[in-house]
Amino acid sequence: MSRTRLTVVLSQAQGKNPAKRALEESICAALIMEPGLDVSVVPYLYDLDANHTGRLFLEGVQGDMVVLTWLYPRACFWLLDRDGIKGHFGESQLKPADTDEDDEEASEPEPPKGIGSVEVPDRHIYCLDLRDFNKHEPYIDEVRRIARECKDRREAKLKQWVQGNPTMVQLGSYLRDSEQPVNGKEHPTFQPEELLKQPGRRWYPVIDYSRCTNCMECIDFCLFGVYGVDKLDRILVENQDNCKRGCPACSRVCPEQAIIFPDYKTPAIAGAPVGAITGLKIDLTKLFGGDAQDALQQAALERDRELVNDGRDAVGMTVGMPKRQTGKDQGPKDELDQLTDALDALDI
Amino acid sequence: MQDLTFMMGNFAAELPGDLRYATTNHMWCRAADGHLRFGFTAYAVRLMQDVYFLDWVVNPGDTVTQLQQIGHIETSKAVADLFAPVGGTIVAFNQELLKDPSGINVDKYGAGWLFEMAGDAGICKDVQEYHQFLADNWEKTQRLIKGKINTED
Ligand code: SF4
Ligand code: SF4
Repeated sequence: MSRTRLTVVLSQAQGKNPAKRALEESICAALIMEPGLDVSVVPYLYDLDANHTGRLFLEGVQGDMVVLTWLYPRACFWLLDRDGIKGHFGESQLKPADTDEDDEEASEPEPPKGIGSVEVPDRHIYCLDLRDFNKHEPYIDEVRRIARECKDRREAKLKQWVQGNPTMVQLGSYLRDSEQPVNGKEHPTFQPEELLKQPGRRWYPVIDYSRCTNCMECIDFCLFGVYGVDKLDRILVENQDNCKRGCPACSRVCPEQAIIFPDYKTPAIAGAPVGAITGLKIDLTKLFGGDAQDALQQAALERDRELVNDGRDAVGMTVGMPKRQTGKDQGPKDELDQLTDALDALDI
Repeated sequence: MQDLTFMMGNFAAELPGDLRYATTNHMWCRAADGHLRFGFTAYAVRLMQDVYFLDWVVNPGDTVTQLQQIGHIETSKAVADLFAPVGGTIVAFNQELLKDPSGINVDKYGAGWLFEMAGDAGICKDVQEYHQFLADNWEKTQRLIKGKINTED
């Protein structure tokens, strides 16, 4: 079988932080010793544009993949999805060292209420956050575990296939993704120097489609032509590089917290996990005297600043503000609701 | 003035009677060496829980206006921007906390102080007024915590 190997991609940190480089190097050195892995290194994922060799490489990867990045897994996963590097979200079992028992209670996630991705091939993409540990061992252990999990999954599927009754879809995708090179082409090989060419910094929103309900608030709000829709009329971050560096305004406007700015300072906006209490931090800014502005006012101010920088007129809250708060309480509870329930239970 | 206790559910937040309080910032204020020393109240610390990271975006000597952003905090349960409780000049930050911010959890009314300012503490309230403020806003605060991140309450 040609695709029994697991592709592992390490995406480097921006800049030259020696501690980060050291971790990256020790992880790579250890991974290379592992059997059954294809290990590659690319620069900081978020900065790769469509022409970067690292992107082309990732686009060519078939089968299951593990991506180690200095990003939250959600940010990494949906960033790849936007770039057409799609798969099912592989659950990592890595737990940062400082999470306490609260996390263990995080129950089965509710079915997502977002519109999800489309044309997802039958493979899994696992995103591991390099900020969770400062030594390589936990990552190596987790990659080994994932390799086993992928192998078991493949074997289970193969058994099902041999025993008959695969639906057409399963059969088609199984063959396409796991057995045959697309268009008869083998995955091209890339020179390490090209793969590692340092890209310029980029800044743009990433939509988490597991949360996004396609409400279109963001496209109404952004006045810089960043958002568009695809052929299926689904919201799309169409012109990524039209976005204004440092501006996270539309993430505050999204009623579902579906818009991630992976490099923003606040974990909630940078794509911190929504399942775990300790992972998701509540923004108490309002409580400490920041209540002069609410999130929408803040978003409008941030947008005005960018408009003025562009030599345009500020619009304040007169354009594209959400008509929000309708039917908020309907629908099944999601992880964020569970989080707040858990806070209730703390009885503060 | 007498010490007071504010009940946050089952948790008793102690409010020393000899301090003044910047109510909207949930900071206490004490006059020390001609300066004003500020720190978090037990109420604030209980909401945030273990402090992991504290960062200031202004420097000693800087003049700040009331409610200007001066820093950022990350705890086990929350993140928040921090704002100047009064207008004036920043005199010093507690250097110990920059090394280990958990001092805030250990001794919030003592060694866990945050910063010192030169300014007018006139807008700070006494313990009774702060207690009343907490009581008046308790409903709203619970709603804020329950309200989703980044959204209106
Ligand atoms: S505002 Fe949020 S939920 Fe609505 S379309 Fe945009 S990303 Fe999706
Ligand atoms: S951050 Fe600002 S410029 Fe960028 S997409 Fe959002 S609203 Fe548009």
